[in-house]
Amino acid sequence: MNFSEFQNRSRLYVIGALEPEELEEFEKARKKFGKKAEEFITKCYALHEAFALSLRPAKASTAIKERLMAMVRAKKET
Amino acid sequence: MKGIQTGDADALSQLYDRYNGILKALILRVIHNEAEADDLLQEIFMEIWNQAKNFSAQKGKPLGWMVTLARRRAIDGLRKKQAYARAEERLQNETEQQPDAWVHNATEEEIVLSDTRALIRKVISTLPPPQQQAIDLAFFRGMSQREIAAKTNTPLGTVKTRLELGLKKIYDGLKELRDEL
Repeated sequence: MNFSEFQNRSRLYVIGALEPEELEEFEKARKKFGKKAEEFITKCYALHEAFALSLRPAKASTAIKERLMAMVRAKKET
Repeated sequence: MKGIQTGDADALSQLYDRYNGILKALILRVIHNEAEADDLLQEIFMEIWNQAKNFSAQKGKPLGWMVTLARRRAIDGLRKKQAYARAEERLQNETEQQPDAWVHNATEEEIVLSDTRALIRKVISTLPPPQQQAIDLAFFRGMSQREIAAKTNTPLGTVKTRLELGLKKIYDGLKELRDEL
């Protein structure tokens, strides 16, 4: 696998779309390309952020935040 | 994020205020159930609080980390509850009113998008609908290439090509957008 193919696979990898047989080959290439591979994979995670930002925000109920903060405070006290 | 890592509850409160809408939209897009989305959102922020020590700014932005976490939890939740069938039914029922489905025609009633969202949507909209659909099913439904092929009655190789081409276009488009954002 050359680096261009690795880049294509990386974008599939970050969204969990590699098939099991592709994953093994991908991990081998990931080791082969080392730091360069890790840096590229990190960049690919920007896709996650972009897909989330492409959606219109949905407001959560205020009770959710109250429950969350109560749980956090309770956890801090223990 | 640094505040949360030091156990500052106010920092979590601020993070929640800033990002709950984005994460809720993502969860809702996956599970299509308002009450379940709210419950999951609460669990995810609790996980953010518990796992904050594992966040590394060198590996990306806080939002990216939270989105990755939220998506994984939402897809896991969907699978655990074996809710695919129910979600499918709801999705079909909601298609006509669903403002955030990628594959749709823009209407005059569509709510004005924020600049960032509009720019990202602009990139996504340049993709042919089959590429948008393949990415949508992979990212928001957690489907494998084989599952997408079966669902869309498309050869596996075609699904792979659609995903690769579509993701590359979005990735390249995002690089250009960074200057505008």
